[in-house]
Amino acid sequence: MYSESLLTGQDLSLGEALATGGQTTVIGLVIVFSVLIILMLVLYLFKVIFYKDPNKQKKAAAEPAPAPAQEPAAASAPVEETDEEELIAVLTAAVAASLNTSTYNLRIKSYRRTDNKMPAWNRAGVTETINNRF
Amino acid sequence: MLESFLNFFQNTGFYALISNGGTWLSSGSEAIKTIIMLAIACVLLYLAIVKKFEPLLLLPIAFGMLLTNLPMIKDSSAIMMHTEWFTDSQYFIDGHSLDVGMICREGGLLDLLYLGVKLGIYPPLIFIGIGCMTDFGPLIANPKSILLGAAAQFGVFFTFVGALVLSALIPSISFGVKEAASIGIIGGADGPTAIYVTKSLAPSLLPAIAVAAYSYMALIPVIQPPIMKLMTRKKDRMIVMEQLRPVSKTEKILFPIIVTIVVALIIPDAVSLVGCLMLGNLLKESGVADRLAKTAQNELMNIVTIFLGVTVGAPATASSFLSAQTLGIIVLGLIAFCFSTAGGLFLGDIMCWLTKGKVNPLIGSAGVSAVPMAARVSQTVGQKENPSNFLLMHAMGPNVAGVIGSAVAAGVFLSMFSNI
Repeated sequence: MYSESLLTGQDLSLGEALATGGQTTVIGLVIVFSVLIILMLVLYLFKVIFYKDPNKQKKAAAEPAPAPAQEPAAASAPVEETDEEELIAVLTAAVAASLNTSTYNLRIKSYRRTDNKMPAWNRAGVTETINNRF
Repeated sequence: MLESFLNFFQNTGFYALISNGGTWLSSGSEAIKTIIMLAIACVLLYLAIVKKFEPLLLLPIAFGMLLTNLPMIKDSSAIMMHTEWFTDSQYFIDGHSLDVGMICREGGLLDLLYLGVKLGIYPPLIFIGIGCMTDFGPLIANPKSILLGAAAQFGVFFTFVGALVLSALIPSISFGVKEAASIGIIGGADGPTAIYVTKSLAPSLLPAIAVAAYSYMALIPVIQPPIMKLMTRKKDRMIVMEQLRPVSKTEKILFPIIVTIVVALIIPDAVSLVGCLMLGNLLKESGVADRLAKTAQNELMNIVTIFLGVTVGAPATASSFLSAQTLGIIVLGLIAFCFSTAGGLFLGDIMCWLTKGKVNPLIGSAGVSAVPMAARVSQTVGQKENPSNFLLMHAMGPNVAGVIGSAVAAGVFLSMFSNI
C-alpha cells in the first residue's frame, strides 16, 4: 500500500507527501471525531436518563438550603471582617458539596465559629487523618 | 605495581574518551560528540532543576541521557544501555524480533528497564495513575466540550503532513510515514501517548520526541496565550459560561465503562491506553477500591515515572540524537502544539457562534491534553479579560476529552502503520 519512499522518507516527492498526508489527515480526523461524537451522544443520553429537571431540583434543594443557613443564624455576627467574601464563598461551596446541589440554590445568611469541644486525642486523630490525605 | 595501575587506567572513562578503541569514539570527532551529548544532558538537567520544566520527567530523561553517553570501553560490563540491541537488526532474532533472552542475560540495568518501554508496559501503567487523578465530571456535565478535544487533534495530523513535506523538501531529513506519525503525535500534548506510538513506529526517534513533547508541555503557558488572543475576539473571551450541572455518581461510574467499550469497538489499537485510563478512573469513581486507587496514582505512578524517564532518555546516543532530524522534530513539535491549540480554538469559535455566545472559545485551547496545565491557561487568559470569570471547570471538560482524543489519534496511527 505504501511505496518504499513513503516508508523510508528518502526520495519522497512533494506530491506523494501531500497526497498521503492529506488522505491520512482526513481518515484520522473522521475517525477521531466519530468516536468522540458517539461518546457525546452517550453523554447526552446520560443527561436524559440520570439528570433531573433543574426546576424540580430547585424545589428539592430549596428545602435543605435554609437548614444550614439558619443554624448559625442564631449566633452573633462574626468579629473579623477580613476576607469575608472569600470565607462565604468557601462556606457556600462546602454546603453545596455536602448537599450535592449547586451554589446557585444556596444563600449563606450568617455564620459562626463553634467552640472546639473535642477531646485532645480526637483532635490529634483528625489532624493525622487530614495530613494522611495530602 | 605499575602494570596493575596501567590496567586500571585503561578501564577508566578518561582512557575511553581519548583512546581510539573506545565504544563511541573511533576518532577525535566521536569524543567531541560524546562531550556534546553530555553537555546537552546537562542543559536539560538545568532546564529541569532551575527552570522547573516538567522536572518529574525531564530530570530522569536528562540523567538517562547522561548515563548512556558516559565514555566507556567497548564491551565493558559497565555499559548500562546497549541501544544497538534495540535498533540494529543484526542483533535481532532472524533479523526482525527483539532478542529478549540476550538482553536479559547480558544487558545492563537500563537495558532491562528499557524493555518496559519497548514492550509497551510503562505508558499504559502511567495512564492508570492518570485515570485515578482525572475527574470526568465537567465533561459529563457538558457533553459538547468533548468535540473540542477532537478538534485539538488537528495539529497531530497537520504535523504528520508537515513531517512528510519537510522530508520531501530537505534531503538530509528523511521521515517516512511511521516517523511522521510519531512526530505528529507530539501535538496530542500527552507524553505517555507519544512514547507509546514512537516505541512502536519509530524507536530511534524516541529520545528526541520525548524531550520535545515534555519540553513543549512545560512551555504551554508561553506557547498558547498569543495564539488564543489571535484567534478569539475580546468580546467572546469575556463570556461567562453557565454553571455546570451536578453529575451523579452513577454517571461517573458508567462513563469509563462505556468509553472503553465504544473505543474498543471502533479502534482496538487505542484500547491499551484508553482502557488503562478508564480502569484508573473506575478505581477512583467506584469508591470500593480506594486502596488500589491510592497506590495507582501515587506509588505505582511514581515508580513507573522513574523507570520511564530514565529509559526514555537512554537511547539518545550521539549518532541518533545529533542529527538534522532532531532539529526537524523540535521545529515540527512546536508546529504540532500551535496547530492543535488553533484547531481547538477554531471549533471553540464555531461553538461560540452557534450557541450565540454561550460558549467561551478560550476553553477550546484546553482540548490539547496536558492536564491540567492547558485548562489553567484558559482560566488565566479568561480572567485577564474578565476578572470575575472562572473558566477552569469548563476548560477541564475539553482538557480530559483531549486525553481520550489523542489516545484515539494514536490508535489511528498504530492501526494504519504498525503492520507495514
